[in-house]
Amino acid sequence: MDLEKSFNPKSNDSLKADLYLMTNAKYFQGHHINYIRERLLSIDDSKWPLIFAAEFKDPSNIQLVSLFAGAWGIDRFMIGDTGVGVGKLLTCGGFGIWTIIDWFAIQDATKQKNMEKLQQFI
Amino acid sequence: MRRNRLYLILCVVLAASYGWASWSLTHTQDRYDNFTPCVFKYVTGIPCPSCGITRSVVNIARGNFINAVLINPLGFIAAAIMIVFPLWLLYDVTLKKDTLYKHYNKFENFLKVKWVAIPLVILVLVNWGWNIYKDL
Repeated sequence: MDLEKSFNPKSNDSLKADLYLMTNAKYFQGHHINYIRERLLSIDDSKWPLIFAAEFKDPSNIQLVSLFAGAWGIDRFMIGDTGVGVGKLLTCGGFGIWTIIDWFAIQDATKQKNMEKLQQFI
Repeated sequence: MRRNRLYLILCVVLAASYGWASWSLTHTQDRYDNFTPCVFKYVTGIPCPSCGITRSVVNIARGNFINAVLINPLGFIAAAIMIVFPLWLLYDVTLKKDTLYKHYNKFENFLKVKWVAIPLVILVLVNWGWNIYKDL
């Protein structure tokens, strides 16, 4: 490994980036993956600890929360969309309509929020 | 969330709120016994935290403020939003500003502070308990 690194310092970076994406791809939207990989390859080494430490919300967990507690906006509160959460809470889940829309939209919303969080580092 | 998306959502929600409130205002009170838009109440029979906000807003519109508090104090927040936000939206859209958007973001961050969020959650839960006790 050390030998390889001394010959080609770039390979270690791409290994890290691929490892990161393998474990974290589920947190992001498919069309962002390529962009994330490119950014990860070009970032400074000092940023890696921050990126590895960043915690993301699991879209499948939020989906479950949305199914059971979406009518009170708990799903939106959890992903950090507090304002929308208050709106859902006050309108009883947007008269039930918004709740149903969010059953299908919340996974993408979660992934988008995760991307916004990652973007602070890369 | 981007500015235009927020404004679009606000417009839709406000339009729905006004439609629903005006429909409620023009219909008699006894309809509450047989009609509610809340899925949760249909399924479980338990009122949810926001139950009674429509009745509260209707009472505010008719000037019965004490009744409004007794039904659901959250109605005052809903009424305030319904009065202030359309004007604010109009101001922002006509002058092409984003004051509402900036304040919305500030408000979101303010709500995420632990010492603000916890009391508010407790208040909502207490209010919910009161709702169940009143059997709205």
